[in-house]
Amino acid sequence: MSESLRQLQHAFMDYLNTGETASFQPHVIAQGRITVDTRLAIYRNAYRIRLTETIETDHEVLGLYLGDDLFDQMTRGYIQQHPSTVPSLRDFCDALPTFLAQKMPFSEHPILADIAAFERRLLNAFDAPDAQRLGFSDLQQLPVPDWPRCQLRFHPSVQIYSCQSNAVEAWQSIKAEQTPTAPDYSATRHWLLWRGDTRLTEFISLAPFQHELLMGFIQGRNFAEQCELMMQFFDVEQAPQQVLSALQAWFEMGLIAKLQT
Amino acid sequence: MVNDQLTLDFLGFGLGLRTAHFEHVLQHQPLVDWFEVLSENFMVAGGKPKYYLHAIAEQYPLVMHGVSMSIGGTDPLNMDYLKALKKLANEVQPKWISDHLCWTSVHGQNSHDLLPLPYTQDTINHVAARVGQVQDFLGRRILLENVSSYLSYHDSTMDEWDFLNALAEQADCLILLDINNIYVSARNHGFDPLEYLSKINPKRVQQFHLAGHSDYGDYVIDTHDQDVVEPVWQLYQQALQRFGLVSTMIERDGNIPEFPALQQELQQAAMLAAKQFPHLSTRTLDAMALAQGQAV
Repeated sequence: MSESLRQLQHAFMDYLNTGETASFQPHVIAQGRITVDTRLAIYRNAYRIRLTETIETDHEVLGLYLGDDLFDQMTRGYIQQHPSTVPSLRDFCDALPTFLAQKMPFSEHPILADIAAFERRLLNAFDAPDAQRLGFSDLQQLPVPDWPRCQLRFHPSVQIYSCQSNAVEAWQSIKAEQTPTAPDYSATRHWLLWRGDTRLTEFISLAPFQHELLMGFIQGRNFAEQCELMMQFFDVEQAPQQVLSALQAWFEMGLIAKLQT
Repeated sequence: MVNDQLTLDFLGFGLGLRTAHFEHVLQHQPLVDWFEVLSENFMVAGGKPKYYLHAIAEQYPLVMHGVSMSIGGTDPLNMDYLKALKKLANEVQPKWISDHLCWTSVHGQNSHDLLPLPYTQDTINHVAARVGQVQDFLGRRILLENVSSYLSYHDSTMDEWDFLNALAEQADCLILLDINNIYVSARNHGFDPLEYLSKINPKRVQQFHLAGHSDYGDYVIDTHDQDVVEPVWQLYQQALQRFGLVSTMIERDGNIPEFPALQQELQQAAMLAAKQFPHLSTRTLDAMALAQGQAV
């Protein structure tokens, strides 16, 4: 491997990151009417524009929530602190929620990191692996004695998102071109995200018992264990019925990929 | 490889498959000969992009075009990337796979840009060895594309066309000749684009790219967000004269118009080729004949 080539590439990349021309400029020939500074700036502008556009595209609602000035401040800071190390721009903003949670002034408003995290989840649901989906009739065909130890495997796009703010409600308001309500950190909210049969990404809010139930199945608890768990929320007669009706809804939503007994 | 014929069959005239057109292509099955897909856009596990890709692959020949191989890079080749590329190729069975003669990343950091290499024999040796690795891994020759560039290095000891030619020979790979990039770089560096064309070995040219750019007077930037301009059409005709019928594709990545507008631009390419090759028969030309028939 050519050491001089490696040094040249390092100098070029350092320039893209920092805008400092001192080590890279001596490599570049002055030609015609275009100055060396202009030639270098074409690359640096393109680099920054490409990364900024990626943030804009992946975090459109966050951008609207922040407004132009704060969005610019965020993109400049993020690009500087997180040079891309991923082959695909699809993954460039993976660290954005953490950046927002840690970096002033954004960290003073936890809803920002929550909105960004929610938008990452939407993307994850969008291009998660494909898998078959079972219908409720598949469960009904299961012999009754197998039901108590039945476990569920979910479609790979299924995700649970929990946050301590009204980030998703704010996201919905902005998407509907309405003014979001003020940040509210009074309660934990749970959301279920998945990609449906039509390949559209969907999400719904989860009541505390639904969240417990989903988490329980995801963690591998069986039907009998889940009924017991639901006794925290319902009486002994209601609990199995609640589990069953939740299951029926999940099958209809296309969340269930496999039954295990 | 002992076969004297290096290049693969002429595919006709293709377009880049873009998200905005997925539904149109599936519903209307437009008369286009083939589509070029951006490999990285489909290196995902599943979902909508993959669904459309597979559905369209059943109806059209596809070729895969990548931007992240960093064949001229000095980091080791990214084997995870190459595995994903090979997996995608197994899924869609592309007629060929291409990337760019450039570098994109160093020390693990990705510029997400197609950055120029110094044109030296050392670089050729370095890149040719990596092309060999890639071709062995993929089990096929790849195509490398000339990129648009905005600067030249003191280190360079040869012209870009000699570099491209020598690299293709030494690496035994094929060439994706981007006619617009030749025009853009010619304007930015002040060389004669016809000289470029005249120095490239026709035996290795498998595909042409056409695209639009942004003209800032003193310099030109390869933006792929405009129609192909007249000087590039003229250069394309010169390329047809020198290289014969070569599979041609129009790239559009920004300011993307409705599909029929791009199809019309592609028909212009087919029409220019038909002037020089009167017996040319492709679906792209059929679409034109059909449209004219309807107009009558």
